[in-house]
Amino acid sequence: MADLRERSGLLTLEESFHLLRRTTLHPTYARAKALVGLTPAAAVTALLDAPEPPNPSPDWATKTPNIPDFNEAYRLFVELQNWWLGRVLTSASPRERLIMLWHNTFTSDYLNVYVSHWIVGQHQMLRTHAYDYSEMSRRIVGDAAMLRYLNGDQSIKGRANENFAREWFELFSLGVGNYTEPDVLEAARAFTGWRISGLTGTYNRQLADLGQKTILGQTGPWEWQDVIRITLEQPACARFIARKLLRSYVEHDPSIESIEAVAALLRANQYKIRPVLQTLLTSEYFFDPTLRGALIKSPLELVVGLASALNVTSIQRQYVAQVMTRLTQEPFYPPTVEGWKGHHAWITSSTYPQRQRFGESFIDGRQVGSSSKLVDDAGKNLVPDVIAFLKQFPDANDADKIVTNVAGALLAVPITTEQHAALLEIMLAGAQRYEWDINSQAAVQRARFLIQAIVRMPEFQLM
Amino acid sequence: MKKTPSTSDTSTPRIPRRSFLRAAAGGGLAVATLPTLVDSFAVQALAGGDPRLHQLLEEQDRVLVLVQMAGGNDGLNTVIPHSDPLYYERRPTIAIAKNKTLRINDTLGWHPAMTGFRSLYDEGQLAIVQGVTYPNPDRSHFRGTDIWLTATDADVFGSTGWVGRYLHTLAPSYPAELPEHPLAVQIGNATSLALLGTGGPMGISFRDPDEFYRLVNGGGGTGQVPGSPESDTPAGREISFMRNIARSADVYANVVKQANDKSGTTSVPFPTTDIGAKLKVVSQLISGGLRSRIYLISWANNNFDTHASQTSTDDATLGVHANLLRELSDAVTSFMQEMKARGHADRVAGMTFSEFGRRVYENGSVGTDHGTAAPLFVFGKQVLGGSVHGANPDLVNLDPIGDLLMQHDYRDVYASVLLQWFGVTTTAAQQLLVRDFSKGAPALFKKATTSVDDAAAERTFVRVGPNPATDFLVVQANVDANADAWLTLSDVRGTQHRTASVETWTGVGRLDLSGLASGTYIVTLHSGRSVTHTTIQIAR
Repeated sequence: MADLRERSGLLTLEESFHLLRRTTLHPTYARAKALVGLTPAAAVTALLDAPEPPNPSPDWATKTPNIPDFNEAYRLFVELQNWWLGRVLTSASPRERLIMLWHNTFTSDYLNVYVSHWIVGQHQMLRTHAYDYSEMSRRIVGDAAMLRYLNGDQSIKGRANENFAREWFELFSLGVGNYTEPDVLEAARAFTGWRISGLTGTYNRQLADLGQKTILGQTGPWEWQDVIRITLEQPACARFIARKLLRSYVEHDPSIESIEAVAALLRANQYKIRPVLQTLLTSEYFFDPTLRGALIKSPLELVVGLASALNVTSIQRQYVAQVMTRLTQEPFYPPTVEGWKGHHAWITSSTYPQRQRFGESFIDGRQVGSSSKLVDDAGKNLVPDVIAFLKQFPDANDADKIVTNVAGALLAVPITTEQHAALLEIMLAGAQRYEWDINSQAAVQRARFLIQAIVRMPEFQLM
Repeated sequence: MKKTPSTSDTSTPRIPRRSFLRAAAGGGLAVATLPTLVDSFAVQALAGGDPRLHQLLEEQDRVLVLVQMAGGNDGLNTVIPHSDPLYYERRPTIAIAKNKTLRINDTLGWHPAMTGFRSLYDEGQLAIVQGVTYPNPDRSHFRGTDIWLTATDADVFGSTGWVGRYLHTLAPSYPAELPEHPLAVQIGNATSLALLGTGGPMGISFRDPDEFYRLVNGGGGTGQVPGSPESDTPAGREISFMRNIARSADVYANVVKQANDKSGTTSVPFPTTDIGAKLKVVSQLISGGLRSRIYLISWANNNFDTHASQTSTDDATLGVHANLLRELSDAVTSFMQEMKARGHADRVAGMTFSEFGRRVYENGSVGTDHGTAAPLFVFGKQVLGGSVHGANPDLVNLDPIGDLLMQHDYRDVYASVLLQWFGVTTTAAQQLLVRDFSKGAPALFKKATTSVDDAAAERTFVRVGPNPATDFLVVQANVDANADAWLTLSDVRGTQHRTASVETWTGVGRLDLSGLASGTYIVTLHSGRSVTHTTIQIAR
């Protein structure tokens, strides 16, 4: 049984890092230090309630779509990626990471949707309602991008398209085994009647099948709202969402008991996420030391996390998109409606070395797999200031301590004595421990050696 | 074109099975210590020190290429039952007119985009298996795909793949000991569940051999940090997982690059499509001497998920589905030509699969929703091609949802692959597929033997004929004159029909075939402790 009682005591640096890694894309030393000494409840409140600057849609996305050809469509995809990347590279709000969870639940991809305006609309909807699963569910039905992605806009009375109905049950709410094939057919009828008009979906009851339907055991002249209501009443729905939350915040294979405990919280809070997270993220369970480093970073978490740690978040956004694509997380292009599978699927014989090479090159101020320099969006060269990075830690002039502190900031699991010794040797590169001088010119390359050795470790892929 | 075994880097760990066999060949090991999966005839062959066998094990192992048509391929618009008026009634918009199809037989035709498959079929190098699914089929992409990849029943959630389990029998101590060459290669950045064994992925994946090499070897010059001790915590398990992946990438990047470099350019042009490019890489690795047993390629997305605009509205022979089928057909055709040109045609076969077929009825969006049974294709020079296994889809008798009924369990086809292509024993196949599917396994391959069997077959069967046979079959074999030898004749369902002794001085046995129906039969030669199979046709 997951122990959801509140964690007693005040947060240590390690616990602060853990909380930041699991909730934000920017688990930096400065942010962790600011949480040290707070109670878990105070820290979580501070994180979740921190003011967020507005995130207006790009101008073009608020106008009626006019996409004459693929070139224009593609130009907008890039704009879309840049708009979002600009946000996640600079916002440390837990909302950004939570939006990724919902984007990976209510998926859609830019090629199938084609009209980037609608993807912006979907993203803004998920942003606004990220802390309310029930509201998101109601709104996703008539979401323009979703209507196009799963053919809801082609589904009318007498000619129901089953695509959305099936994925609604399987991937958005209940999971396999909690509904029947007739439920899919009947729900497909109830989801008829939607069309896309300009930027949004519109419901036309005259096109909808208003006849009697039996869905999950309930019979009536159900329309789309009824399907959502009936679905969310199912205990399986709360379990399904609980599992997703646990996978994102705590561990990849939570026990049935943990899932039930969080599902009960979801039901008690009418699927509001904020109170559920407040309990979960302050719990003994969440801070269980054996669960530190139990998750594998997504490409987004890897890339933004490193850029943030080294204070180069002005990095060219399309470079980030390119790296994420190579690491199999192309922004706004999940491989299937199931979304990115995540966890072990992130790591293959191909992506693992790419992750290592990305990190090493980044620290040198180079783009991976080329001799090109890292640049910002204006084309100006960016070189991570590794000395400034090291100088933020106390005792930066103590070689032993700097290794400990840098590893503590960049790795979610403690290093062993042997690993510490090896990292120290790599950093010193032949020099003696007492010769380490953070202010000397020779320290720059040595600092790079240290950070590069750390990003090559498998531990660096964990969070 | 035979290749001499390369004297590759000896510092890489070796496949345990081969170490065993080498040692056995040197006379160092008693038979009893050999892994059980090595059949007795193989041991005998090794005891004889047949040098050809070493080569077979190293370079001439049989290869299977799996092509996943992700998204659920519409079988009814692929192998078209044009003689069935119901097909046209149920699909008023997207049905393909009979005169547009490419002839398979009087009642079936290929989709017009599949000219390559038609040729392969006509040349006897491609077989169609109709109505493939499983009991209580799942119409979810993800469950359906997982079921196919794990080879489990619809209500079982498996965590290892059928290919991974098979490969694990070849390298039981993987990944602690890595074979010299990767056991399986997936072209792409993902790792399929099919390749997962109990100890993680049994193969490697990459998009491009050169890029893979650069990635693995392009690291900075600073030193390595030692691993933390293995720990059975969540993080500890993830670290072990990544270390194993990293180690296989390190070990195999060189071998893969060498194979790719050695192959040079292909002899035939490949289409510049996604699948064309992937099969080109596969062909180059095989030609370059990579000894992987399994190659897996897939469309990157659920491309076959044609809920809408499956065909063009003004011409049902055009559109998304037509393009996908053309991509498949053209790429496989180039691949087969290339394998022939490079001399590998006899040891390379392929199989397509898709998580489900689609509904009999078209929907209102010029598309089709998720269905059940569909045809799959097996191709290769050693495939019993030009044949359709199973009846045409029955559009009248459907399941309660209105979908096609099963004719073949997909594991029947896996059993064919394991038994007839890879030559595993019935017992081993039963273990790999959880249950015994050998009885339903269609005869899909010409020589029902393994690569090891091949060597034994050459040594034991001298002549089998006539083939096709009508009234009798004469078999001449090399048999041990001091041991009993006899023949059995079974049909592909395993039912034994005839037994005859072999005259050990001459090696000749004769089987009376009168009264047996036309079809494929398996002739088994028992000689001392060795058992060897071959297939023949009876034609009336």
